[in-house]
Amino acid sequence: MTAIPLWVRRPAGERVGWLRTVDHKEIGVLYIGMGVAFFAFGGLEALLIRAQLATPEARLLDPETFNQAFTVHGVTMILLAIVPLLVGFANYLVPLMIGARDVAFPRLNALSFWLSLIGGVVLYFSFLAGGAPDTGWFSYAPLSERAFAPGTGVDYYILGLAVNGAGTIIGAINIAVTILLMRCPGMAISRVPLFVWMTLITSVLILGAYPALTAALVMLFVDRQLGGHFFDPAGGGQAVLWQHLFWFFGHPEVYIMVLPAMGMISEVIPVFSRKPIFGYAFVAGSSVAIAFLSFSVWAHHMFAVGLGDTENAIFSATSMLIAIPTGVKIFNWIATMVGGRLRLTTAMLFAVGFIAMFVIGGLSGVSLAVVPIDLAVTDSYYVVAHLHYVLFGGTMLGIFAGAYYWFPKMSGRLLSEVLGRWHFWTTFVGFNLTFLPQHWLGAVGMPRRVFTYAASTGWGPLNLISTIGAAILAIAMVIFFVNVLRSLRSGEVAGDDPWDAFTLEWSTTSPPPPENFATIPAVTGRRPLWDRKHPESRDGR
Amino acid sequence: MQSYPATVRPPADAIGTLSIIVGVIALLIFIGVEGALVFAIWRYRASRHLGGEAATFERNRRLEIAWTAAPALILAVIFILTLGTMAEINGAGVPAAMRITATGHQWWWEFSYGGVKTANELHIPVGTPIDLEVSSADVIHSFWVPDLGPKKDMLPGVTNRLRLLAPRAGSYEGQCAEFCGIEHAWMRIRVVAQSQTEFDAWLRTQAEPRTTSDTKAEQILLANICVSCHTIRGTTAAGTAGPDLTHVGGRATLGAGVIPNDVASMRAWLADPQRYKPGALMPSVPLSNTDLDALANYLVSLK
Repeated sequence: MTAIPLWVRRPAGERVGWLRTVDHKEIGVLYIGMGVAFFAFGGLEALLIRAQLATPEARLLDPETFNQAFTVHGVTMILLAIVPLLVGFANYLVPLMIGARDVAFPRLNALSFWLSLIGGVVLYFSFLAGGAPDTGWFSYAPLSERAFAPGTGVDYYILGLAVNGAGTIIGAINIAVTILLMRCPGMAISRVPLFVWMTLITSVLILGAYPALTAALVMLFVDRQLGGHFFDPAGGGQAVLWQHLFWFFGHPEVYIMVLPAMGMISEVIPVFSRKPIFGYAFVAGSSVAIAFLSFSVWAHHMFAVGLGDTENAIFSATSMLIAIPTGVKIFNWIATMVGGRLRLTTAMLFAVGFIAMFVIGGLSGVSLAVVPIDLAVTDSYYVVAHLHYVLFGGTMLGIFAGAYYWFPKMSGRLLSEVLGRWHFWTTFVGFNLTFLPQHWLGAVGMPRRVFTYAASTGWGPLNLISTIGAAILAIAMVIFFVNVLRSLRSGEVAGDDPWDAFTLEWSTTSPPPPENFATIPAVTGRRPLWDRKHPESRDGR
Repeated sequence: MQSYPATVRPPADAIGTLSIIVGVIALLIFIGVEGALVFAIWRYRASRHLGGEAATFERNRRLEIAWTAAPALILAVIFILTLGTMAEINGAGVPAAMRITATGHQWWWEFSYGGVKTANELHIPVGTPIDLEVSSADVIHSFWVPDLGPKKDMLPGVTNRLRLLAPRAGSYEGQCAEFCGIEHAWMRIRVVAQSQTEFDAWLRTQAEPRTTSDTKAEQILLANICVSCHTIRGTTAAGTAGPDLTHVGGRATLGAGVIPNDVASMRAWLADPQRYKPGALMPSVPLSNTDLDALANYLVSLK
């Protein structure tokens, strides 16, 4: 048994190769490694937040530290953990799934990873350079202007996010070109695996959304360092302009984080139901609808800003519309399971968990599109609960499903199903204990981003439950890391196709060789590997 | 008591009704979808040894159109209800009986009744539609008293309007909802709804200069940095960066909710405000013990 078989090209002992690799699988692993590391940092910040809020009027953290913790937690989880994890899976899997030898621009791929990582390092360097940003992950002007945030934290935020964003934009171009131009013979765009579809749409969303963030960051930089007044009302600027630019990025960003995870469970559920996905065209088409609509809903983050009833009504309508293509996917996944023979592996448990939790996040999302309800609960813990049901209950559970499903392909080793079950159930219990009570806290008046709350509010007990839930969630993550490390060291050998799966990545070795395939495959349907294994019942005959 | 037209509900009630309707719809969908999910897992799990192969169907256009149309219809209903409630919480065309200006500051509230200024406690007549005109002196804040309904952001350079209608007498607690810097957590609001007579009496008092005078305490105040930020009408203290203290003794709390307002707390607050509200813009003023006693007693007496 050799140790850690995550890579195949490196001669024994050569580590520096990771610094100069242009192989899509190695870059994928680098991205995933980056995501895991920052997920751990972001998790520790979350634990600090929950520890401080466990009891009213606590003094564990001073307010300045707390404000830095929740700011960096948000930026970390969204831009440095979830996005790199998803981009990492896409990098690793897309060429394999479409029968290509690599991405379209391998060197550009390396550049995009290193830019993304350097952006994260720049942000975290702020802790050593006089204090991290403390203005929240959406860093509203004029609080983020120099008059109110005189330290360097916000400058590191600007620089870190701009560099990280450049990496993400370059990566999106690369992946989109790869999907559009490098599919193997017979792999029509209507036959690519749904994870590839979702990744393509995500890439388009990145190309539309991230430049708005970059522009806003440059404008904020001009304000802070060059005496500009874009967001400074005293100098003729507009505070609300930042919000428009930020949320024009920020809401598509939600779908950038959710669609690839939906793609992951759209691979996992059919394989473990032993059935093709139900309504492939609807799942793919509804995602195109989401992509268009997601650029027209940003102001639902701004209902309380005072844009006016007409504007609020329009954005309320578009936000409700986007619930339709998002919701129908749920039906498609359940219909995929109906009539199947469900193998409830850990990957499948997490995929089902995604559906169960995402329903809650989706329903609370609709309630936030209802303007009067939003005006009552926006900027409260209700929103914190909602976004974590989407991004943890949805995206992270989807990523875990993907991790259990594809880890054998990447490493050649299976993860332990026993530890996997422990991981799933502790996650499920810890997650719901943490975030379910927060809906109520928000509805009765607890604003988000408060470093403490008066004992007289009566918010203590539910906050304590939430903190206990966070501790259980931390244990769940430890179980997962133990599972990964154990399997890398001495996991059961997976073989090429441990799940009897449908798509091309399982037709090559685990881990795949350099350039992926001995000969470029040719496909005739949506489930090429199924077709190869069951020539008598090929899809799309 | 109820001086507002019977057809106009307090905004909080209108939002409450809508929340219940949306909540029930959401609950039904939740039960239906989670039920279908659990049923599918239970019914089709391989460990039941169902025998035979998995089904192979992969589309049903009619079914898919149906489950796209059904949510669209439900959402259309919700949207229509939304429009109605939006109009209602803005006052449904009923003009306000009174306008009050609210200005957010890092980290306290200034309320102005046609120039008569108070801080952190908003007094309003019960059952009367009021327009709160909200703005900010520095960063973005948000006025939120949950039992009075919606919140409204307070932006520098912009005036927004928030309709308030308190359904019962008593006090309502709230706080700033938009992250506004280091002491965002201690920017609490107390709204005191009282009968028109009580309110009128209160407002008359607020409009007057200070109710008691104490030469020694006032000299301490005027000789120190206090005077550059605070106003006490009737003295020469006329700073505007901090809360108006002319009737500070009548308020329930200090530091926008961080500690109660009594002589002992006032003395401790004056001695070291940073201990209670680290990061607040009020500095610690070096005062002797006797000066602190005098000043604390004096300020609390300013009812």
